[in-house]
Amino acid sequence: MKRELLAIGIVVLILFGLPVGAFIYQRQQTSSDSTKRVIIIQATVPEAGGFQPSAIKVNAGETVTLRFSSMDVTHGIAIGPGLGIDLGHVDPGHVKEVTVTFDKAGTYTFYCNTWCSPDHWRMRGIVEVTDPDNPDAIPIAYHDPIIERLVAEGVNIDANVTMGMADHPQPDVLTFDQPPSIEKGNILAATLSIPEELSDAEWRLTHTPMEGLELLADKNPSNSMNDLIHVIAYLWVSDTRFEAIQWAENYFNQNCAACHGQTGDGNGPAANQTAESPVAFGDAAYMFGMRSDVLYAKIRRGGMGTDMPNFGTLLTPEETLKLVSYLWQLAFLAPNSGIE
Amino acid sequence: MIKSQRINVFQHVPFLRGILKSRLFQPVLTLTTLFFFTLAIVTGLFGTPVGNRNFGIVFVWIVWWGLLIILLVPFLGRLWCAACPIPVPGEWLQRRGIINRRQGRLSTLRWKFPKRLRNMWLQNFGFLGIAIFSAIILTRPEVSAWLLLGFSLIGIVLSILYENRVFCRYVCPVGGFIGLYSLMAPIEVRVADPQVCATHTPKDCIIGNEYAYGCPWMVFPGTLERNTYCGMCMECIKACPKNNVVINLRPVGSDLMVAKERRLDEAYKAFIMLACALLYSAVLLGPWGWLKQWANMDTLPHWLIYAGVFLLANLLLLPGLFTLTALLSRRWGGVQVPLRQLVTDYAYTLVPLGLTAWIAFSFSLVFTNGSYAFGVLSDPFGWGWNLFGTTESAWTPFGSSLIPFLQTGILTAGMLFAVNTAYKIAGQHTPNPRQALRGMLPVAGFITSITFVFLWLYLG
Ligand code: SF4
Ligand code: SF4
Repeated sequence: MKRELLAIGIVVLILFGLPVGAFIYQRQQTSSDSTKRVIIIQATVPEAGGFQPSAIKVNAGETVTLRFSSMDVTHGIAIGPGLGIDLGHVDPGHVKEVTVTFDKAGTYTFYCNTWCSPDHWRMRGIVEVTDPDNPDAIPIAYHDPIIERLVAEGVNIDANVTMGMADHPQPDVLTFDQPPSIEKGNILAATLSIPEELSDAEWRLTHTPMEGLELLADKNPSNSMNDLIHVIAYLWVSDTRFEAIQWAENYFNQNCAACHGQTGDGNGPAANQTAESPVAFGDAAYMFGMRSDVLYAKIRRGGMGTDMPNFGTLLTPEETLKLVSYLWQLAFLAPNSGIE
Repeated sequence: MIKSQRINVFQHVPFLRGILKSRLFQPVLTLTTLFFFTLAIVTGLFGTPVGNRNFGIVFVWIVWWGLLIILLVPFLGRLWCAACPIPVPGEWLQRRGIINRRQGRLSTLRWKFPKRLRNMWLQNFGFLGIAIFSAIILTRPEVSAWLLLGFSLIGIVLSILYENRVFCRYVCPVGGFIGLYSLMAPIEVRVADPQVCATHTPKDCIIGNEYAYGCPWMVFPGTLERNTYCGMCMECIKACPKNNVVINLRPVGSDLMVAKERRLDEAYKAFIMLACALLYSAVLLGPWGWLKQWANMDTLPHWLIYAGVFLLANLLLLPGLFTLTALLSRRWGGVQVPLRQLVTDYAYTLVPLGLTAWIAFSFSLVFTNGSYAFGVLSDPFGWGWNLFGTTESAWTPFGSSLIPFLQTGILTAGMLFAVNTAYKIAGQHTPNPRQALRGMLPVAGFITSITFVFLWLYLG
């Protein structure tokens, strides 16, 4: 009879002790030492559900480990904005994880940064960070002076045309068969009188190269338009920092090149699957009519109905500006503008 | 005839009889598996939905499945059924005890299980029913857990209504194919001398005695000739006062030749298992991505088409082709055997073929995904535990260069064994060896073609 009781004891232990023990152990793991919380996120192509779970809640100040496993194809995992987390490729069946402490309440986005499927750009998930002392407080709406200024100016961010150029020469009047050369521009710049506005980064941010060309031509009437174009190209990339370009090139290749093409030719592998043809940043004529702040706004807000996703939830304003400066590099340095 | 080529294990390993006679033998097995079974259900219900990070999925569908089909069934026949945790809660309720033999009859309502269902058909259809949902069951921990729990609950209900292991014998979809494929196993529970039984009227092994219960599988060991319905629970070894029940070693596949017990429901089990092995290989290992998506229910219409074709292939296509083969065999061999019997008899050639095909299929499953087992041992729920320090062990497919060789080897062995079985079965229909040879040729052709399809799928 003794062993019968023992057996019954074991059965009870298995049927009830096992689950109860597991839950107690889990409580200990998560409460006594909050660095132990692990959140498993399963990555599949968006057509099959994207990230699961796609929204997770974390307390501000809490340290969590986010463990990503790919269920189907190779994905790339990054988290933004401003966290600088890029886990790189996660191959099918493999796992990568990152341990982060989210200091401030707010919303962060984890996303795939490797072109994994036609719907790749939909592959995003949210980390909602709330303040445990004040859980209902919604973080103050994010101010973006650059976009606010554009709105105040009445600029249509979604328009795909040159801005404020009605009474100026249109880019196609100019000849870009000789692509703008930054090197030539650099040499020529020393021989010209440069209007004050053009040396002002803030002015260049809110104006098109074409407007700059107007001013430059007024001051230097004896120079040929072609020479002046070189100078403008030089001025527009003049104060970009090397490490910014390095970062932006990498980011562009991971996140933008699938549609816009690695050289900015607007013809990446996924270009034919978007609602509207992706913009070719390598096209100097197009870029001569484009403004940095508009590019900035387009990146952050995405393009309505064009399949251009928003990156405002992934990138900080500073990172976005770095990316914009890289687009000018593409316009004036890319192989298809004829310059190495 | 039955006694030829048998080695009585008890004669060579005497203490084994002692172990098997102990009432502790089966509870030790079932309590161990019950632990893992419960863990699989709890992790399935509450753990991560990520299949390969969940103990329930990894241990049931990779570790258990691999052990069962690659080792247990081929080498030890139905021994799994003695260890299986699914029916034991029901059995313990019936017996009102776990270890000891409680005197008196089993506590059940003592209903009579319908005669028409005392065969493998329920198991055939149950298996098919699960098979068409397999892509979901095998990957979603929660679904998998409910399935296991459901099995156990059905087991409990059936043991309240009926005496003995009705669930195992007539219902369990796994039990069906374990029973069929255990015909191949090189071990058996048999009586040493049937003459002793014929004259031993109390028949303790059927009605039980103070040491043991009567056979829970409703089998009479005295005339037992095949493994199919003996759950190797060892009760009869404990019951027999004459120590007449023994464990034998024997040539592989001996039971295939027991002509008088062949039945159409078992034949269909053989068809279904072979067809499922083919279809699974095509879905999971074949080059057709869309097929995988259809099986995964990407859209309901796709899945309905898939399920329809799946059932058609299992119930009509393969049996139909095999019937044509049997017709051809009858014509070539010129034997006067009814077609139904011919189909049924020859279907047993598909037992070695099907078993080796499943082994080959499971090689790639187990070697490729087996390494997940280390991760879920340390972190069964996928909650980030690290019990044994193996949580972070990466997924490493094992022996990927070896798998094709193993698969080719085992499939070829299965094919040769099946062809040889076909020849022997043909020999049961006619004493004329030339006739037998001609009669087996179409069957051999069928076996060879199927083997080539498998090889093409695996090596393709
Ligand atoms: S109790 Fe033993 S001897 Fe008697 S019938 Fe059963 S197996 Fe045979
Ligand atoms: S024949 Fe013996 S070992 Fe087999 S199921 Fe019956 S009692 Fe158990």
